[in-house]
Amino acid sequence: PSFYNTWLPFIYLYGVGGIFFISGMIIVKKAGAYNPQNKRHRYWWRITYFGFFYYMLIHAALILAALYL
Amino acid sequence: MEVHHSLGTSTDWIVMVIYFIAIMVFGSYFSKYNRTTTDFFFGGRRFAWWLITMSIVATGVGSHSFIKYSAKGFEAGFSSTMTYMNDWFFVPFFIFGWLPIIVYTKIRSIPEYFERRFSVLTRFFATFLLLLYMVGYVGIGFLTMGKAILPLLPPEFTLFGIHFEITLMGLIIVIAFIVGIYITYGGQTAVIFTDLAQGFILIFAGMLVFVLGLDYLGGFKVFWNLLPTEWKLPLAHFNDPPGFNFVGIFWQDGVAGSVGFLFMNMGLIMRFMACKSVDEGRKAAAFNILFMLPISAIVVGNAGWIGKAISIANPSIVPPTTNPDSIFVVVANVISHPGVFGFIMAALTAALMSTVDTLLNATAAIYINDIHRPVKKWLTKKVLTWKEEDKQELLSARIATVVFTLLGVLSVIPFSKFPTVYEAHGYFHSTLTPPLVTAIFLGVFWKRFTNAAVIGTLVGGVALMVMGMYYPRPLIEIFAHGTAYDPSHPYTYIGALYNLFVCALFAVITTLTTKQQLSLVNKIKKNNNHKSIMGAFIVTSIIIFILILFNLLPLVALLILTFVMVALVVLASNYYIEYNEEEKTDGLTVWSINRAKEYFKGSKINDREGEKIRVHWKLKDGVDDSIHFSKSDMKRMAAEVGDLVYISDARKYLGGLKSIHSVYGEPHDEDGIVYISSEHFEQGQFVKGKLLIAEKEM
Repeated sequence: PSFYNTWLPFIYLYGVGGIFFISGMIIVKKAGAYNPQNKRHRYWWRITYFGFFYYMLIHAALILAALYL
Repeated sequence: MEVHHSLGTSTDWIVMVIYFIAIMVFGSYFSKYNRTTTDFFFGGRRFAWWLITMSIVATGVGSHSFIKYSAKGFEAGFSSTMTYMNDWFFVPFFIFGWLPIIVYTKIRSIPEYFERRFSVLTRFFATFLLLLYMVGYVGIGFLTMGKAILPLLPPEFTLFGIHFEITLMGLIIVIAFIVGIYITYGGQTAVIFTDLAQGFILIFAGMLVFVLGLDYLGGFKVFWNLLPTEWKLPLAHFNDPPGFNFVGIFWQDGVAGSVGFLFMNMGLIMRFMACKSVDEGRKAAAFNILFMLPISAIVVGNAGWIGKAISIANPSIVPPTTNPDSIFVVVANVISHPGVFGFIMAALTAALMSTVDTLLNATAAIYINDIHRPVKKWLTKKVLTWKEEDKQELLSARIATVVFTLLGVLSVIPFSKFPTVYEAHGYFHSTLTPPLVTAIFLGVFWKRFTNAAVIGTLVGGVALMVMGMYYPRPLIEIFAHGTAYDPSHPYTYIGALYNLFVCALFAVITTLTTKQQLSLVNKIKKNNNHKSIMGAFIVTSIIIFILILFNLLPLVALLILTFVMVALVVLASNYYIEYNEEEKTDGLTVWSINRAKEYFKGSKINDREGEKIRVHWKLKDGVDDSIHFSKSDMKRMAAEVGDLVYISDARKYLGGLKSIHSVYGEPHDEDGIVYISSEHFEQGQFVKGKLLIAEKEM
């Protein structure tokens, strides 16, 4: 294990992937496709953020498990 | 490299034959209802999210995954799961953008979207690229099947005194012949219930391999401690080796692959169109990506991990030099009893068979809809009766299927030169998806993206991609993030970043110069020889494209000529095709989804949120397409006369099988009762005395 097969891929994945993700959120909000007044829309908005951090947490946990368990 | 032959016992072969017969009988039982995948999924938006989720799993796991990911699991460990766990970044674009658009605009195919958003010419370009993409997938399917079955057969055999040597290519030709027969007789299209059943069976078979493997090794702790640390890491090394590295796979699969999967996979889009509403589609997508994909990653890759552990514990049973593409078959044979191995192999090959079969049918359908019909309409003046036309089209579809099968077999030749199926698939994906992905993505999210710009993107993007193949150094090397240059397969994955970049570059340049293009075209139109000038533009473009295709000039000259060619193509597009931005983006981009909703409903949308209600049903006189609730029920649902309504049998497990869409009619005074017509009753197959659930749509 080294920085090149543990935290560098992790930072790149959620850094560059995060740019795509956030730009998606900004575009759909600006375009009016996300309507904050709508309860269902607010629910899906939260789920979308949840998914991003859910995967980030899984990957971090798997790296730590491989290194220390 | 260790090559295996004659694995399995006669019990396994008997189980495999029985399984195949059972699947055929199961399929033909449901096919008597004449509900093929296509009919079933275009049949109307009525299914619950969980039913759609399971059928999506069948497409995600059901193809070449077992062989591909087990190979990488054996070579690199848990990082074989990378491709299944990097799909979330484009979810906002999908669930708030593309999903509502495909539902509300009722498009039936990707080429159709290209025509409505851009022009007929763009539809032809997109169809051509899409057909190439699908034929490539058929080739990958054949290659995988060949690699799965080869270890089961002896290296050679004698029949009627003639000696035959079994080679991969020979086996693939025999498989293609069998698939051809399978399509022509019996399973014309893989029936949806067969797909669903196979999805469940595959997940079961994959998990069975994992459980049996852990049992064989002596438990999870032994398995975990046998694997070297770097085999347990979830992400591969950043840029090494060239055959499997993080950064290449991020761009090839996480970006090009994810957008391709969510935006242009026809099988997936048809399934989302079958959901009863956009919200149910969102549930299906979110549940699939959050929970089913990680499970699928374990199901398809674990044979490789088990194989690696066995090769460390007991290298005489699974030698470390085993061919990675046969590791799934080898491990399944080692850890399971006779009969169980037969079941696992039968599940794998039957699923591969139906994947290739479905793909070939979809390819033939695209050929008929997007090439055969328009060309025939253009060429012939004779009007045929519906029956004559149907008969002719059926024959053409069959011929097209045979031709695409042959093309699929031919595409195996370059694919088989890659070390594993995974690399062949990765290279093919990173080359073919970027132009289409860029075109469709910008078409949906950038309303200024014009028809001339999309044609410039496709032509210029393809030209620079061809040059990238001839000159991987220096063109792709700039983007390689330090990935080493492998002369036999240069930049298998990171090529996707270069390809995406050049397509996006032309898209931006051609869109931002739209004003200048139009004024130049207007100047040309004032010239007396404007027709000849445009003809010269087109001829020059074709000559330049040929020079690029056959690499007939030095790199610098080709680069300059590419930009000249794109300029000429863009001007010609503006000259010949009228593009009205307002009309072509209305309801077709993320910026006008509310307009799409209004078109879908046919009137202003009612956004107030209501509740679902349970009602008994009664038949009304008359056959008009409206259903009638009481005033207070309408109030609870926040509905007005003319809004859209969805009613379904209240029994959840039916998943929307008994349901209809209709319109609210004038209310009455009987609370808890809905009046429906006899046509609604027949269409929804409702049962007397059973409650219905009603909800306002949108």
